[in-house]
Amino acid sequence: MVNKKLIALLTVLIFSLVALAGCGSSDSGGKQQTKADDAIKIGFLGAKTGGHASYGLETLKGMKMAAEDINAGGGILGKEVVIVEDDHGSKNSEASTVTDKLINNNKVVAIVGDPTTGLTKIAAPIAQDNQVVLLSAGAVGTGVVEIGDFIFRDTLLDALAAPAVTKYCTEELGWKKVALVTSINNDYSVGLSKIFKDALNKYGVEIVTEQQIKDGDTNFSAQVTNLTGKEFDGIVFTGYYTEGGLFMKEVRKQGMKQVLVGGDGLLSPVLWEMGEAAVEGSMVYTGFAPDTKTDNAKTKGFIDKYQSANDNKLPDMFSAQGYDAVMLIADAIKNAQSTDPKVFRDSLAQTKDWQGVTGTITIRENREPIKSPVYLLEVAPTGDGGSREWTIKAAIPVTAD
Amino acid sequence: MFWQQLINGITLGSTYALIALGYTMVYGIIQLINFAHGEIYMIGAFVGVIAVAVFKINIFLALFMAMAVCIIIGVSVERIAYKPLRRSTRLAPLISAIGVSIFLQTLMTVLAGPQAVGFPQVVDDQLYHIGSVTVSKVQLIILILAGVMMIGLQLIVKYVKIGKAMRAASEDYDTASLMGINVNRVISFTFAIGSSLAAAGGVMVGMYFNSIHPLMGVMAGLKAFCAAVLGGIGSIPGAMLGGLFLGIAEVTGVAIGYGGYRDAIAFTLLILVLLFKPTGLLGRPIQRKV
Repeated sequence: MVNKKLIALLTVLIFSLVALAGCGSSDSGGKQQTKADDAIKIGFLGAKTGGHASYGLETLKGMKMAAEDINAGGGILGKEVVIVEDDHGSKNSEASTVTDKLINNNKVVAIVGDPTTGLTKIAAPIAQDNQVVLLSAGAVGTGVVEIGDFIFRDTLLDALAAPAVTKYCTEELGWKKVALVTSINNDYSVGLSKIFKDALNKYGVEIVTEQQIKDGDTNFSAQVTNLTGKEFDGIVFTGYYTEGGLFMKEVRKQGMKQVLVGGDGLLSPVLWEMGEAAVEGSMVYTGFAPDTKTDNAKTKGFIDKYQSANDNKLPDMFSAQGYDAVMLIADAIKNAQSTDPKVFRDSLAQTKDWQGVTGTITIRENREPIKSPVYLLEVAPTGDGGSREWTIKAAIPVTAD
Repeated sequence: MFWQQLINGITLGSTYALIALGYTMVYGIIQLINFAHGEIYMIGAFVGVIAVAVFKINIFLALFMAMAVCIIIGVSVERIAYKPLRRSTRLAPLISAIGVSIFLQTLMTVLAGPQAVGFPQVVDDQLYHIGSVTVSKVQLIILILAGVMMIGLQLIVKYVKIGKAMRAASEDYDTASLMGINVNRVISFTFAIGSSLAAAGGVMVGMYFNSIHPLMGVMAGLKAFCAAVLGGIGSIPGAMLGGLFLGIAEVTGVAIGYGGYRDAIAFTLLILVLLFKPTGLLGRPIQRKV
């Protein structure tokens, strides 16, 4: 008897909840409908929770700063910019739902995101089908812009950065021979090694030995012993930071003095937590570095503003790229004098020598950017008792062939 | 170069051998493959790091601390997870071992975080040059310590009373207990020795490769298990030989340019040995009771 009553009660409760929820959603839908007329909505596709939350949160921070700056200057075409944020929780399965919601419920004109290549590839076909501009502020892998003519990105691509860095190493540092180390169970590393190999060939640098490692390995004694007795100027290391630090430690242990150069997969303090003094002098390239001494007024303004809003913390690549992404879209809308993605898509595609906080951006015909400069960071001791930091070694100009 | 790589291989192999000893002894006595053994090794490494980095304890003292902690854990695991299942099917304690292994991995991941932790530089890394070969102080320490421990174990098993009891129990568990041997004590002792050796291996590996993480026991445990089977599971000299053999084979593979296949090498060797000599290199032929 009690059970039956309980079930009845639960049923009533569930029905009323559903009804309430229904009211709620129709309410907010109505509000958004009216708001859509006087605001330009740009959607944020990224993670606020889960594995890549730090990328997503920083991107969002940058986007919000850009919207504030635009609105403080009177908005675009007399309308204010609103960032519509959602969270896919770093889950592949949620990415398409969130994209669909941004486009069809929130009626955004453009989406910025995702910071990762994999999730961008899931969202891009949906944006393409709905003819909404999607600009990824972080995806560096291949096969993104190929999805369609509404898909863009504003990150520095390894295919352009690695050759620029190779050129710098040969011309400025005088490297003629290198050892190449690839982590073969790491997609990123294998791809980057291929790019580096082409670049090294192009600039006449000899690869004296190629060594394979695996992500998760901790013992590199055999590979490093293979390097001994060979003459080379530096190590091109395409893997991630943990293995990079440990590898260099073994290199020093076996008495070699060379330094390492690699991509932003090495960009983490864990590099020197693992490698300690062995990684000092090692170089890592990245698309954005918070260079407080820069003479670029835009970058300087961005860094100052970010610092004052975030307890003096310096912005990273993701916040800067998120900022630039919104600014790029805003400028495209302004130039096209239209908020229709089908119209401002063209002016976005024609972006040339555009000044952003992460450098000068030109969108090429394939909707991928040429971005200059690429920053080469170096691990240096801070002087106070064994701690280390990134210092900017060079800002290398990037040109397309 | 050849001799240098050989030293790399022997150093790696001796750490495998230390872990393999635990597998082999436990299997020899209760026919259980203790899959949680790799996790004991991992915990040993973490205790070593905490002792050295947080409490600034001398590395040798830290080694003993790690061994002591792991003896307690190893023996408790046996009491909690295996002893109640001793009279059930062979499969039950095996599953229980896998459960313990996953539990310990997860526990350490929660406590220490999923990132790899650097092992502080405890021994100033002096290099000794002998001809064209360079040996580091850490490598020497590992080789000497591993050697001393293995010889010590062999002496215990051969000449000390509890060692004789272990051999008797491994010969025939039930008869041994009928002869007045306290088999439970023997089993606890076996777990204690095995765990302490694994802990020592963990600290040494941390010291040598400078990085430890909560999942380090998985691959090392599998490799050591391979080493034990290669040498002939149940045989103590076999575990040492198997460990060294595996370490050298792996390093040789990397040295000739197959760095990506280093894990595959271990398991391919295992399959080959099992195909041609199913009892392992030093294993006794299987006797059929008539």
